Amino acid sequence: MASLDSLLENIKSNRPDVRTAAWLGAGEVGAPALPPLAELVAGAEREVGRAALRAMWKIVRHVGHPAAPEAQKTAVVSGLLDLLSAGGSALVRRELLWMLSEIAGEESVDRIAPLLKNPDLREDARMVLDRIPGPKSLAALQTALRQTADDFKHNLAQSLRHRGVPVPGLPDRKLVPTRQTEVKATST
Amino acid sequence: MKQFPRVPRRTFLKTTRAALAAPLLIPSGVLAAQGRKGANDRIAIGHIGWGGRSRGLFRELAALREQGAAVSVAVCDVDETRLAQGAKEIPGATPYRDYRYLLQRKDIDAVVIGTPDHWHGVQVVHAAECGKHIYVEKPACCTIEEGKAMIAAGTRHKVAIQVGSQGRSQPEAYLMHRFLANGAIGKVSHVECFHYPSPVDDQPVPDSDPPPALDWDLWLGPLRWRPYNPKYLHGVFRWLLESGGGQIRDRGAHVMSCAMWWMGQDGTGPVTVEATGTPPPLGLWDSAVLMRVTYTFRNPDWTMTWTQMPNEQLPAAETRAEEELKDGITKITRPGYGAIYHGENGRCMHWGGDGGTWAERKVRDWKPPAGAQEVYKSPGHMEDWFHGIRTGRKTIMNIEAGVGVANLTILGNLSYILGRKLQWDQQKMEIVGDEEARRLMSRPQRYPYSL
Repeated sequence: MASLDSLLENIKSNRPDVRTAAWLGAGEVGAPALPPLAELVAGAEREVGRAALRAMWKIVRHVGHPAAPEAQKTAVVSGLLDLLSAGGSALVRRELLWMLSEIAGEESVDRIAPLLKNPDLREDARMVLDRIPGPKSLAALQTALRQTADDFKHNLAQSLRHRGVPVPGLPDRKLVPTRQTEVKATST
Repeated sequence: MKQFPRVPRRTFLKTTRAALAAPLLIPSGVLAAQGRKGANDRIAIGHIGWGGRSRGLFRELAALREQGAAVSVAVCDVDETRLAQGAKEIPGATPYRDYRYLLQRKDIDAVVIGTPDHWHGVQVVHAAECGKHIYVEKPACCTIEEGKAMIAAGTRHKVAIQVGSQGRSQPEAYLMHRFLANGAIGKVSHVECFHYPSPVDDQPVPDSDPPPALDWDLWLGPLRWRPYNPKYLHGVFRWLLESGGGQIRDRGAHVMSCAMWWMGQDGTGPVTVEATGTPPPLGLWDSAVLMRVTYTFRNPDWTMTWTQMPNEQLPAAETRAEEELKDGITKITRPGYGAIYHGENGRCMHWGGDGGTWAERKVRDWKPPAGAQEVYKSPGHMEDWFHGIRTGRKTIMNIEAGVGVANLTILGNLSYILGRKLQWDQQKMEIVGDEEARRLMSRPQRYPYSL
């Protein structure tokens, strides 16, 4: 099993094979690796950031195993939520949201739901709450629908319909075309 | 209006044999089901997507256009450069950036969808809801949920759907099917699919602004938003798990399609799926370079394996002598993929499995004994689709079959990324006993690009 220090050192390697072996083995390092990996994801070294991101996903999928101890999963979910709340780039926070979508339960809803008001993150937050099962995520989507005044209502309505809740008075716009072309037909 | 019942395969074989004895062009209405286009009515087609494969599909419709059975009246692409090319190549066709304008047109009977994989599910469902018959490129869907929605939409709106695993319609595919269905190598216990590796993005580039001609938001469609990178498109979308899924989806949707058809296993599924693989060492693309997936089927018991292997480990392709190259027999130009069928009394092999499908010599030389079982001989993949449009008969690669094959590829990739064996309930079309994997049966979609 890799130690946290060796994982980070190898993720930062300039050798692709070393980085790859490192992220493949990241699962067992678990929650303590998330903050330093998230820093690398946001850093300037593109391939190092990519390897760090893949290491974070590996950790998520390691604790998502049906036989993984619940405490490990709880620690990873908690670590992801802390990173999400800490701010930072929208790109990294979107990744954190999608990681949570695979393993988080109702305990995460109160910390994700406020992002439904964040213009950069609200669509990802909506999709993630759609995926997290249970009445609490559904209630969060319903509350947001009541509180939202703009076009985002339609997005929230889609999630509610997807969860089996009818949304009268807010017709689905999925078949309404919006994008015009400037290309003209050629004559026959 | 006539409904699309689920037709048992044996019945399908009997009835299609009779139907295909008829000439292709017959008086209007003779074969047409109530409310459907007659045999001599021209079918107006809109093309959604104008990349390399879409243009190939347009060419594959040439014979039907020349017969007056089809006319292409609209073309759509999210890249204005490609769209302008499409408008030039189909004189008179109306160009659209947004496929939903095309779907609104009442004069369009059918659509040919040749977009990246992540659009297939949404566009098929939307097209069916607008009453269009559909030809959609393979693989049918990217998630289990999409596949279920596609089947439901096709059934509810009574449209003919053909999935573009056209290997089933190739002349030598018919020979393989007949050979195997008649037990020429006995009961088959293992289908060993082989393929060369997925490529590596070994010259990665940074994210950037999209080119002005490209509607990046519309290209992403249902996918979660991310910055543009030229390594997402065009054809290279195949090497990303979200938009393509690697060789297992791109070619697995052909090779495994042949296997399910020839083995008479459409409508069935595995009980377990277990994958291992080697990821790319760098770059944006994330589908497995090398890969091995084992699918275990029960009742009947058999196994299918999918292996992406180094080129030097691929089985050798048959050499065909010049004198053999007649009556539709061609050289094997795609030797890097295919499958070996292991039976009680020997084995047989094919290469390709898509628009090029080649059976090994003993299969081609096999003569059916008296009383041998006949199998369906497709008149061509497009022609088979048109037959479905006119009569209501199930197409050779109908949406249920297409989703069944796509599910194999989806499950293979899910097992690979999760690093564990998956249990599958074919009756419910659900993963069993793994909450994370179950969540990955669907992928929430950006609005309004949703099912």
